[in-house]
Amino acid sequence: MNPAPPAHAHAPSLKTPLTTAQQQQQLAAGRNVSPSPGLRYPSNKKTIYDRNLSRSKNAELSRAAFGYLFVEMIGYAQRRVRGVADLEKRLNAQGYPLGLKLLDLLLTRSPLPSTSPSLRPTRILPLLQFITTTLWKHLFGRPADALERSAANADEYMISDNEPLVNTYISVPREMSQLNCAAYVAGVIEGVCDGAGFATRGVSAHWVGEGGGEGGKGMWPGKTVFLIRFADEVLEREEILGKNG
Amino acid sequence: MAIIKDRLVVFALLVINKAGGLIYNREFHSGLNKMSSNDYLILAGTFHGVHAITKSLSPLPRTQSANGTSASAPSPFVNRPTGLEVLESAHFRLQCFQTVTGTKFLLFTEPQQPNVDNVMKRIYELYSDYVMKNPFYTVEMPIRCEKFDRSLDAFVKVKS
Amino acid sequence: MSYYFVIIGTKDNPLFEHEFGTYRQGGDGISRFREDTRHMNQFVAHASLDILEEVQWAGGQMYLKTIDRYPPTGSTISAFITAANAKFLLLHQPNNISTTSNPSSLTANRNAPTSTTPAATDEAIKNFFNDVYDSWVKTIMNPFWRVDTPVRSPVFRSRVAASAKKYL
Repeated sequence: MNPAPPAHAHAPSLKTPLTTAQQQQQLAAGRNVSPSPGLRYPSNKKTIYDRNLSRSKNAELSRAAFGYLFVEMIGYAQRRVRGVADLEKRLNAQGYPLGLKLLDLLLTRSPLPSTSPSLRPTRILPLLQFITTTLWKHLFGRPADALERSAANADEYMISDNEPLVNTYISVPREMSQLNCAAYVAGVIEGVCDGAGFATRGVSAHWVGEGGGEGGKGMWPGKTVFLIRFADEVLEREEILGKNG
Repeated sequence: MAIIKDRLVVFALLVINKAGGLIYNREFHSGLNKMSSNDYLILAGTFHGVHAITKSLSPLPRTQSANGTSASAPSPFVNRPTGLEVLESAHFRLQCFQTVTGTKFLLFTEPQQPNVDNVMKRIYELYSDYVMKNPFYTVEMPIRCEKFDRSLDAFVKVKS
Repeated sequence: MSYYFVIIGTKDNPLFEHEFGTYRQGGDGISRFREDTRHMNQFVAHASLDILEEVQWAGGQMYLKTIDRYPPTGSTISAFITAANAKFLLLHQPNNISTTSNPSSLTANRNAPTSTTPAATDEAIKNFFNDVYDSWVKTIMNPFWRVDTPVRSPVFRSRVAASAKKYL
């Protein structure tokens, strides 16, 4: 008698467990073959694995050091760039991996030491609150200034920052006035959303300093809004989860 | 910079790059005679030349600079010959500060203006923040940085 | 007990595999999967991803406990999901299954050879996952790491092995 088929025998066809044979081979190779010549692994207990994750929790970085680094990052992104939109896209791409990393790092750090990591955000609101408080405080030392849902489109959320730290020293030339270098931060946000399983149709940074209303300009000329547009499937899931919970 | 309590009259600021070209020119307080922009360029070039000559006039290194104001703008290379630092007339005073990379700041103030060194230091700070850390600024080129203008205005006008 | 541990990326691609046996009850840490079903391990582990993807939205817990069983080999799968949707799967199988044809033997075997209670096992697996997660976060902090790329670091492997030795 053959063993009873498992309840989810159909699953493999959907999942295609081993996506590419190639990757599987690589994996196998990594397991058996000794490290390639020329690549040395430190044996003196100084690898990244020997450092405590919470060690630099309260460490601060010189703002000038970041300023100069950001100058170079923008200079790098500007090489053979085709326009403002292209430049913003590249800055976005530079921020994206940072978002992925910070998502895991900050969730591991947030609880008391020795307890298990805190909860993953599974709904839109907790995710956005994680971004505007935990992430913002980690990166910029203060929470974001506002979090709103767009009145016109249900899939759009807006995070405002009156004075983005990354723009502190930046004066955008007149011919590129549309450019907002906080696109880098938008990339970080996108990385967090994507990593947590909330696919977006893009996160973008916009100036709202001008024409936003009287008095607004004088107070916060550099006010920036990060517009997050979630993908349809995220909203669909949100609705289903809302019904169940 | 709360220590500068005195009323401040700063007429204008000029920035000269290390080749002697005028890269920034801003008037804060009317009072100076109007000059054409061409005249400003000539002034910058001329001052640059005179500064270079006075620098070579300076006594041999290791002695204190013989200029009148020995304790002028702080420089990491104290023993370097500094060249002309102050030009004074009955109605105005021109203070020059040269950075280690050869950029010169010229500040036109009233003759009795105290604490010019501190003002200069603060302006240098603003320059290194809003000009040198601006990704869209190319060194030695004319300075067009909105935030530099705005922060200078805020600093100079609040004091006056 | 024999264990098969795998880390799966966001595109359902395997990033890291490790096979080991228990160190409890004088175990030597060498896995003793039956040779005739051993090749099924990857398959069985991956097959549980469907269930995992449903369970993951039910709550924000990272440790999802036991999510799937495969009675023919007596395998149980525990799962852990990281914040950035990397999945840790641990397939565990008691060593001496007398017969694979009778699914009911699973319950008998689960109780007989291991003296540890299910709760204690559960706790041990949870600790193991948390420990690995710590190493995993360090891995992804590496500036050269890119999402969904296999992990080849021998240091990471030894870390996982150490966690296994410590808890399982």
